[in-house]
Amino acid sequence: MKITREVVQGLYKQTGTARVDTDVAASFQVGDTIQARNINPTGHTRLPRYIRGKKGSIATDNGVFKFADSLAHGAGTQPQHLYSVRFTAQEIWGGEAPAQDSLYIDLWDDYLEPA
Amino acid sequence: MNGIHDMGGVHGYGPIIREDNEPVFHHDWEGKALALARVGLAGGHFNLDEFRHAMERIAPVDYLAISYYERWLEGTLMMLDQKGVISREEFQARLTELSGEGS
Amino acid sequence: MTSDADVALRVRALESLLLEKGLVEAPAIDEIIDLFENRLGPQNGAKVIARAWTDPEFKARLLANATDAIVEMGYEAVQGEDMVVVENTPRIHNLVVCTLCSCFPWATLGLPPVWYKSAPYRARAASDPRGVLAEFGTAIADDAEVRVWDSNAELRYMVLPERPAGSEGMSEEDLLALVTRDSMIGVSHAVTP
Repeated sequence: MKITREVVQGLYKQTGTARVDTDVAASFQVGDTIQARNINPTGHTRLPRYIRGKKGSIATDNGVFKFADSLAHGAGTQPQHLYSVRFTAQEIWGGEAPAQDSLYIDLWDDYLEPA
Repeated sequence: MNGIHDMGGVHGYGPIIREDNEPVFHHDWEGKALALARVGLAGGHFNLDEFRHAMERIAPVDYLAISYYERWLEGTLMMLDQKGVISREEFQARLTELSGEGS
Repeated sequence: MTSDADVALRVRALESLLLEKGLVEAPAIDEIIDLFENRLGPQNGAKVIARAWTDPEFKARLLANATDAIVEMGYEAVQGEDMVVVENTPRIHNLVVCTLCSCFPWATLGLPPVWYKSAPYRARAASDPRGVLAEFGTAIADDAEVRVWDSNAELRYMVLPERPAGSEGMSEEDLLALVTRDSMIGVSHAVTP
């Protein structure tokens, strides 16, 4: 496909969302306590090392999104729920972190297991 | 991948350097590098996740040494080579041709 | 490190090949650069914030469904497809980072500044947000909650800063000058008039 000026103008008005309407069951509900899986994939992932193995709680279910980890490797869209998950700063960084501080990160269903 | 890009919590990078009234692009080539990456994405030659992973695969020493839009350029070149659109050889040949012109 | 002339040449080589192969035409490249240089930027986000400060119903819509509220203001663009706006209060201070790369709400804030994409910010915003805020000269109460949003996935985050004291009588248009890019990332407060 040749990218013309018209194509560019059209592209930026459209939405390029990774959100999909696919009906996929959610493994977790808002308020559930979860643990981020300790995985070390050699491919693309949006699960940073500092979150792996940590316990948090589901703050929001953002809905169903295509999975970046599979899309990066031609393994299809593997649509699944993407949650905003809350971790306390102390859970991630230890007891010296301020007790009231927190970190929110969006994590796909495949990254999580029940705590 | 457990790469250099996964920076959360790492120590030793020093103070955050800020620039007052920072321009969107510091050099003309930066805007062009971004535009050419968008061309590759919009043309369906590679997707955003593949592109991000390409940048993650830049050797750690280079990843830290080069600027942000150089990472975009190298990521685009990597993807276009991987997808058979522009091979490394073809790119190198064009580079040699253009450097000859300039000298 | 490669010199700027060397990189510029590499970019020119790639550009010439893409043009030659008919994969892009030159005006399209200019159009993309113009979009990012002139049309997307924090001037858009500032309008969203100033309106939220002056229009309680819009603010409620913005916090409930930021994507729709922002599109309603005409800012529909790439990297703004799934937006979340989080509100700063005297009790909660929000700060946005992308530790893995450079995720940023382009439709409302444009391309991120160099510091946002730099190793020092990406490394420390998650683990030491109070230290980062101090470095930006931003005072936060010791007993307030600092919330870091590591926006690595598909949602893009923007902070609704607190409306500064002394701005009560100001019009929506005058308020625009108080809304900085940094205040919408959460590293600074809005400007006090």
